[in-house]
Amino acid sequence: MSTPSVSVESVTKRFAGHVAVSGLSLQVPSGGIYGLLGPNGAGKSTTIRLIMSILEPDEGRIALFGASANSRDLSARIGYLPEERGLYKKMKVLDHLIFLGEVKGVARNDARQRAQAWLERLEIAGWAQKKVEDLSKGMQQKVQFAGALLHEPELMILDEPFSGLDPINAQVMKDIVVELAASGRTVLFSTHAMEQAERMCDHVAIIARGKLVANGTVAQVKADFGGRHVALGFSHDRERASAVLADPRLVARVDDYGASAELKMAEGANPEQLLAALVGAGVGLRRFEVVEPSLHAIFVAKVGVDPDAIPLPAAVAGATA
Amino acid sequence: MNKTFAVIRREYVERVRTKAFLISTILLPVFMLAMAVLPALLMSGGDHTSRVAVVDASGSGLGEPVTAALKAATIGDGKTATPRYVATLFPADAANLAPVRDGLIAKAGFASDKAHDGWDGVLVLDAETLASGKLHYYGDNVSSPEGMSRLQRDISKALAGVRLAHAGVDPALVTKAMAPADMDTAKITDGKLTGQSGDASFALAYAMGFLLYIAIISYGSRTLTSVIEEKNSRIMEVLTSSLTPFQMLMGKVLGVGLAGLTQMAIWVGTAFVLGSQGPHLAGAFGMGAAAAGKFAIPGIPPALLVVFLLYFALGFLIYGSLYAAIGAMCNTIQDAQQYAVFVTMSILVGFMSMFGLINNPSGALGTTMSFIPLFSPFTMPVRWSMTAVPPLQLALSLGLMVIGLLACVWLAARIYRTGILMYGKKPTWGELWRWIRA
Repeated sequence: MSTPSVSVESVTKRFAGHVAVSGLSLQVPSGGIYGLLGPNGAGKSTTIRLIMSILEPDEGRIALFGASANSRDLSARIGYLPEERGLYKKMKVLDHLIFLGEVKGVARNDARQRAQAWLERLEIAGWAQKKVEDLSKGMQQKVQFAGALLHEPELMILDEPFSGLDPINAQVMKDIVVELAASGRTVLFSTHAMEQAERMCDHVAIIARGKLVANGTVAQVKADFGGRHVALGFSHDRERASAVLADPRLVARVDDYGASAELKMAEGANPEQLLAALVGAGVGLRRFEVVEPSLHAIFVAKVGVDPDAIPLPAAVAGATA
Repeated sequence: MNKTFAVIRREYVERVRTKAFLISTILLPVFMLAMAVLPALLMSGGDHTSRVAVVDASGSGLGEPVTAALKAATIGDGKTATPRYVATLFPADAANLAPVRDGLIAKAGFASDKAHDGWDGVLVLDAETLASGKLHYYGDNVSSPEGMSRLQRDISKALAGVRLAHAGVDPALVTKAMAPADMDTAKITDGKLTGQSGDASFALAYAMGFLLYIAIISYGSRTLTSVIEEKNSRIMEVLTSSLTPFQMLMGKVLGVGLAGLTQMAIWVGTAFVLGSQGPHLAGAFGMGAAAAGKFAIPGIPPALLVVFLLYFALGFLIYGSLYAAIGAMCNTIQDAQQYAVFVTMSILVGFMSMFGLINNPSGALGTTMSFIPLFSPFTMPVRWSMTAVPPLQLALSLGLMVIGLLACVWLAARIYRTGILMYGKKPTWGELWRWIRA
């Protein structure tokens, strides 16, 4: 196996009053897309800042490309999109991109050409001579995204790259990320959108409260979680299903969405019994499918909270996000 | 190195391109000119001929010599001289003094603009005047100190003459004795005349100190606000993962400094063109050569220019890096101001010391201050322009400046390294010390 692009070894980071990252170990293999998943305040951004040497770990060590140099010395090989987007508001878009390329060591002329190419690819070429502050949030995010890619880094570290984007722009960005990975580069990105991670990532690490909860390839994580899962879609008489779903002999856990549900079968029970019970109760079914557990279901089971539904108190989230 | 250059270019271009830069480039000289010219205009009360009515109720014929003395006074000298006063004598006595005086006063002040025979002022000599020297002047220009002291001087001369004549002194001798002293000053450097007058040296030194003061206050402090802006816009995270603190700090201070130097070059260049081409330009705009002469600026000796630029650059970098370090320590401008006060104070001390130095440029105070890197950018150019500074002192002072600058940049970079990513609270002095040692 080749040297991992990022290696995090038992890293702990404390802030005044709480532990943001606790004994965390990760190996991001070279090539492919690696998802860092977790709810708000789980320590995703802190982990990324530690990897970027923006913060120093209190314990443990971090290595990039197997070297001991810190990320600043290797910055020409790394592209970074921080969670809190920041650009010089008064600068013109094209000038700004050229500057971001230059501080990564790209020659000015190359930077200009690449910047123009990216602006066209992202369909904001018409804004090249506008000031950053005149752009919408989504467009600014695209500019910063392009800035992080301008020097063609072999490792991309993207903190919540798709948050705040409309579906069309999110799609454009997703295509670029997939394309980068396909060309042999490594992409590490954080998100709390499990469905997206499940579709995109080769590897995932789920963290909660600063600790690693699950990690490996998506298939491994699912296999490790085990159990048989059933996805249900209701067409009518949804309320009649309640008694069946609450039966502990059949169902171990339910992830209820109202018109649909994902559930884990109880130990020893099989899906046929469940189907019979539901039909017997007179529930109208649109879908009944034996499935792999979704990352979302795994997450809910492992962490005990719904990553989308429960925002943490603002103070905690603000300090660790 | 290329990265530092990219930072310098960004800071420079983004500053020079702004409207604020253009506006301040134009407005500051206008403001400074107004500061220099307005008080002079107000003080002089206008150099024009004033019509003065002299009411003589002295009973001793005092009116005639006083009127004669006023008529002899001129504005300017040589061919361009014009009478300073048009004086008319009105004999009176103790009995009708009040009505005569009031009649004349009625035609003075604002009324003088409407009536052809109006007065700018009414001078009243009474029986006491010769003995006590007391007399009264009623006029619309009494608040002009220069005008009044000139009038008082002219009248005193006349009174002295009359008193001496009464004592039996020959009038011719009196005129001789009263001839005024007229002093021209000239600066000596290394035993040679420089051809500069003392006034010009003073003006030059003051202008340079003021320029440096303005530059540091307006540009140096911009490194502070710029660091805080970068922290707040969070672009710092991208920068800090690509650049070292030293590259960021050096690039910022140099870029901002170059923008300041550009502005200064525009001002100095314009002043130089106006100064050397003044008569031509004045001619082109239909102004007389005499008017153009008023706007002539003193020429700057090349050596002084070099000294000034050296100290300007070093001083600016020192203060710029200190301001940037303060910006790195704080999250808001308000927080930063508490610390910035210390820096501003030392700038003020340096600036104010120039006024002390003007009286005694080579004294103990001046010599000491020109060895303290925070003050020497102000004191040394002043000393250089006003007296001969020993080369050894200049070398020592410059050497200390360079050491001080390196120390400041090093210190600032240490604080910068840790402080730029501290979004939370303000650091305590203890924490600061740990950042520096870390």
